[in-house]
Amino acid sequence: MTAAIETRDLTRRFGRQLAADAVSMSVPDRAVYGFLGRNGAGKTTTLKMLLGLIRPSGGTALVGGVDVARDRIGAARKVGALLEAHGFYGNLSGRENLDLTRGLLGLPKREIDRVLEVVEMTEHARRRVCDYSLGMRQRLGLARAMLGAPPVLVLDEPTNGLDPDGIADMRRFLRALPERTGATVLLSSHLLGEIEQTATHVGILSHGRLVLEGELARLKADLAPEIALQTDDAGRATALARARGFDVAPTEDGLVARLKPGEDARTASASLNRALVEADIAVFAIGARSRSLEGIYREVSPPSPAATSVKARPEFA
Amino acid sequence: MTASPLFAPLFVEIRKLNRSLAAVLAVAAPSLIAIFVFFNMMRGKAPQPWDMWMVSASGIWAFFMLPMSVTALTALVAHMEHGPRSWDHLRALPLPRWRLYAAKAVCVLAVVALMSAAVLALTWGAVMLAAAIMPHLQPTGPFDLAACASMMGRMFGAALLMIAIQLWVALRYASFVPALAVGIGGTFFSVVATSAKQGVFFPWQMPVNMLAGEAWRVQTALGLGLGLGVAAMVAALVHLSRREVL
Repeated sequence: MTAAIETRDLTRRFGRQLAADAVSMSVPDRAVYGFLGRNGAGKTTTLKMLLGLIRPSGGTALVGGVDVARDRIGAARKVGALLEAHGFYGNLSGRENLDLTRGLLGLPKREIDRVLEVVEMTEHARRRVCDYSLGMRQRLGLARAMLGAPPVLVLDEPTNGLDPDGIADMRRFLRALPERTGATVLLSSHLLGEIEQTATHVGILSHGRLVLEGELARLKADLAPEIALQTDDAGRATALARARGFDVAPTEDGLVARLKPGEDARTASASLNRALVEADIAVFAIGARSRSLEGIYREVSPPSPAATSVKARPEFA
Repeated sequence: MTASPLFAPLFVEIRKLNRSLAAVLAVAAPSLIAIFVFFNMMRGKAPQPWDMWMVSASGIWAFFMLPMSVTALTALVAHMEHGPRSWDHLRALPLPRWRLYAAKAVCVLAVVALMSAAVLALTWGAVMLAAAIMPHLQPTGPFDLAACASMMGRMFGAALLMIAIQLWVALRYASFVPALAVGIGGTFFSVVATSAKQGVFFPWQMPVNMLAGEAWRVQTALGLGLGLGVAAMVAALVHLSRREVL
């Protein structure tokens, strides 16, 4: 599969701070690529380098095979972007706002009707943008990003500020985008559930570094399942499970024992259950479960001490 | 209809003014001068020459209203992008960035030129209206349109350096404060140092110098305003299109 977006050792420093640290990512053609990371992890910096908005301190970024640093305009022709700040003119209608960008891109007028139809905004297009809800602005932003049918769409936090219905709508819409438009979608978010339900591929950024990347289904399959258990004596249960070779960690409601790759989860959980009961430890619940994206994320992207001291569960939803 | 790629950003800038505060300002500032001239004339006892009313209007324009209008207009035009943070969207488009900034500059210059013309037209209208209401105040002497237009044109040319500085600051800083501080400060010093000879070198006082009796003041202020104005505008376009907007 060819890469719609590819970066090699993409780096950006702001003074002494390393915002993006040798990021080498590959977004396959027609994928919905979820770009995950905490606030301040370097997602927006990386996206801005892909869009040619800021210059990298090192490394290269290719969009549609075009080197952004060497040919910004050529690369920009391949990409439409919805950035965190919408940049709409409130004094103008939705249609007029789209028409401004259409004019700058030299596209025919009918292109406005096409994108409005795709985002289901045709009936609201004559209202002034200052009267739009946040969800409508997001949709209009998507419509603007799709003007000229660019092969790559870069969407920075497209569900930010949306209510649950708006998020569900946006999720449905984004999942269908590659099918409907043939575009590759690079979607940045700090919402794990959002990415898990929308993306086909995922890249996790932590402290400026890309710490994990791959096809989401394969990542979840490759990573060994785990056994969740609740007992009356977490300390003894931990010691016993560790003695049997499990990697054990506490959770909010008990313990989790990670299996080695290839180990059968049902056999391992039955064996652990037997050992706990024989050691006179009461077992309230035990069961094998596959790893969630949140589990993967927490493993590869530990929060910084400063972040945990402020918020016990940072920006998960 | 699709505009030529070279002029597309300019047409887009003009359309952005639709229903904007900048458009309201462009109408309001010349109207205020005309309203002032109208009531001033209505207070009069005896007719005055046309020339006096037109010099009075162009004096107010050059002395105070032009620098303040340029300050507000450039801040409002820049804020159209700073406010909704649309620079990222614009700068990510497949267009040479200098064209975006050049379009803004041409648009501002065009609006200031139209405002200058509006000062002339509305003042004429105010004088005619006052004369129609009070016929005994009908202005004396001829109305020399060519001389008035030439004066406004010279003021516009001399204001080019001030416009370039104000636009540069307004586009560079997302906050209103630096642009307003520079504009208000410039106008203040221009007003308090009216009679200073050095005022001919001060960008905010260059337009006022077009009313001066000494030819050297007129020529120096016009030459510096135009020449340095073009240079400052080019420098601003180069700087703004090359800098990163973080």
